[in-house]
Amino acid sequence: MSEKIKKPFKLSRLIRKTIFYLFIVTLAVVIILPVFFLVSLSFLSTREAYLYPLPLLPSLKARYSLTYGERGYLLSVYDDFNKEYQTVLDTNDFEKMSVYMHSQIGTPFSIPEIEEVIKDLESGPEDTVYFSARKDLLYNYDTFFKVTREAVPALLRSLQIAGMTILISLSIGGLAGYAFARYIFAGRDALKFSVLFVRMFPGVAIALPMVIILANMGFYDRPIGLSLVYSVGSISLTIWITASIFIGIPESLEEAAQVFGATKVQSFLRVTLPLALPGLAAAAMYAFLGAWNETVSAIILTQFNPTFSVVVYQTLLGSVGQVNLAAAGGLVMALPSVFFTFFIRKYIQQMWGGVTI
Amino acid sequence: MTAASPAKRFRDLGSKAVPYLLILPVVVYYFLFWLRPVLKTLIDSFRTAAGGFTFQNYIMVFTDPNFMPALRNTAIIVVFSVSLEFIAALFLALLINRKFFGSSLFLFVAMIPMALPAVAVGAMWLTGLTAHGWMNSLLYYLNIIAESHKIYWLTGSEWKLLALIIVVDAWQVIPSVMIILLAGLQNIPEETIEAGYVFGGDYLTVLRKITVPLLGPTIQTAVILRLISAIQIWLIIVLLVGFSRMPVLVERIVYYHEEVPGLDISFQMASGYTIIVSLIVSTAALLYLRASGAFGSKKEAAR
Repeated sequence: MSEKIKKPFKLSRLIRKTIFYLFIVTLAVVIILPVFFLVSLSFLSTREAYLYPLPLLPSLKARYSLTYGERGYLLSVYDDFNKEYQTVLDTNDFEKMSVYMHSQIGTPFSIPEIEEVIKDLESGPEDTVYFSARKDLLYNYDTFFKVTREAVPALLRSLQIAGMTILISLSIGGLAGYAFARYIFAGRDALKFSVLFVRMFPGVAIALPMVIILANMGFYDRPIGLSLVYSVGSISLTIWITASIFIGIPESLEEAAQVFGATKVQSFLRVTLPLALPGLAAAAMYAFLGAWNETVSAIILTQFNPTFSVVVYQTLLGSVGQVNLAAAGGLVMALPSVFFTFFIRKYIQQMWGGVTI
Repeated sequence: MTAASPAKRFRDLGSKAVPYLLILPVVVYYFLFWLRPVLKTLIDSFRTAAGGFTFQNYIMVFTDPNFMPALRNTAIIVVFSVSLEFIAALFLALLINRKFFGSSLFLFVAMIPMALPAVAVGAMWLTGLTAHGWMNSLLYYLNIIAESHKIYWLTGSEWKLLALIIVVDAWQVIPSVMIILLAGLQNIPEETIEAGYVFGGDYLTVLRKITVPLLGPTIQTAVILRLISAIQIWLIIVLLVGFSRMPVLVERIVYYHEEVPGLDISFQMASGYTIIVSLIVSTAALLYLRASGAFGSKKEAAR
């Protein structure tokens, strides 16, 4: 409040403010720095990704030199850090050269283009020619979806799972949340505590016996099975959050609607629900984050139909094993989550303000 | 009472039943998809591979050479990460609650770590903490280390690894603690805080005597949720250093189930560990709730 009162200009105030903002910016940088490197890594070519020190930013083009080699032509790439050309390939197989330039350096360069350069080399007076090629920045993203043939169906599956988890946890959890917000009844505290108690059993330990239970139901390795498992944790969170949201909407509004002849259900649907909608949307996004980001239960409970997070996990640790590809996959995965976070931040108070355990 | 018509009595009963009806779906759901797997694990933990009753599984867990290290590592991580994360989260929440120009943007930035999927975070730190990773590269660019003096983050003493894991885990977890605290802070009327200043309190006094006490229930919520999940830490550890390098309790469950599923005792060990972890989590949660006075205040709140 005191900030709003106009004060005479003072140097000390200006300095204090500057220091404050410097501090905020430093803090933001520290928080965001690891993410920055992940983003940068997802755009690095394979060659760059294994350099030390790692380039801070991906290069936009590569500078090459071509000369005669023992086996054909000697291809070298300019290294910005060491400021010299480094030989990467000695071949007369133009297709191999083209593939190498695309997959390792990230610059698409066709065979006719290579032949052009070679013509320059043979006709020119020097025994080395220099040329450069633009980098295909989205190469890793492209490749991630190409080499992991599972990626697109897995992405759709993950969306489906997250959608069903939202549906289950919001309908079931929302009802209970409303009950906790509006009614005082015998056993209320015990019930509330048991919701907390559910979270005390490790999630991964639920997933293991669920293999057999889901198999008996015919839900193993199917999206519905995973959403049933994710909803266990998600429901308890939804109960707290929705209870908090409903507490924030005055009961008197519903009562007023009833005075005007609405039934209880009508007054809920027409008055409370529209008011709660933004908060409920935020709660849905919370449920989305949980289901979308989860990896471990997905590994246990899927076999031939992995989720997107499992595909990324396999790229990271499995046979594909290229960090820049894994980074690209991880970022594709992070995109919707970060987007939703941007929205959720406005509803923190409604979601968590009334939570008591 | 006697004057009430049967119809009214029925309606009263009906309205009394409403909250129970609203909660019924949750109860049914938890019965089917929580209680069943939990009971199955509980029963399995007292079973031999052949199906008979036994205490042997628990004896095996307790005599497992990795049990004590796992318990110790978990305890250390929980104590340090919960307190570190709480302090950092409270600090951030207090900062954001000052509502400076750009605080909403800063809040978004501060929330980003919690939005990232575990696999992306794993990829991030894995590429950061290898000897050729971005951490060393950054330190090199900042002229803090020489090109030949790489820091080997993921090797060395167990204490170093523990500290590293606590910090890495905190990076991702702090935001979720922070937003709960922030919500609590936003609920405190500004007048209350201002009154503290009017009566001559400085920032720290107001914080200690007014803000934190009013934040009590929120702090309980934030800490209990964090405590429960901190005891269950394992994935980031396995992503960074692999199985068995730094045993923690839940990592043991997954280890016996996923890494050595062929052994006769694997399933028994995993079940035993699961039950022990659950007992530890619930005991710790109850102890915390009792110590923080949650049970007392609940009676007060219910009036």
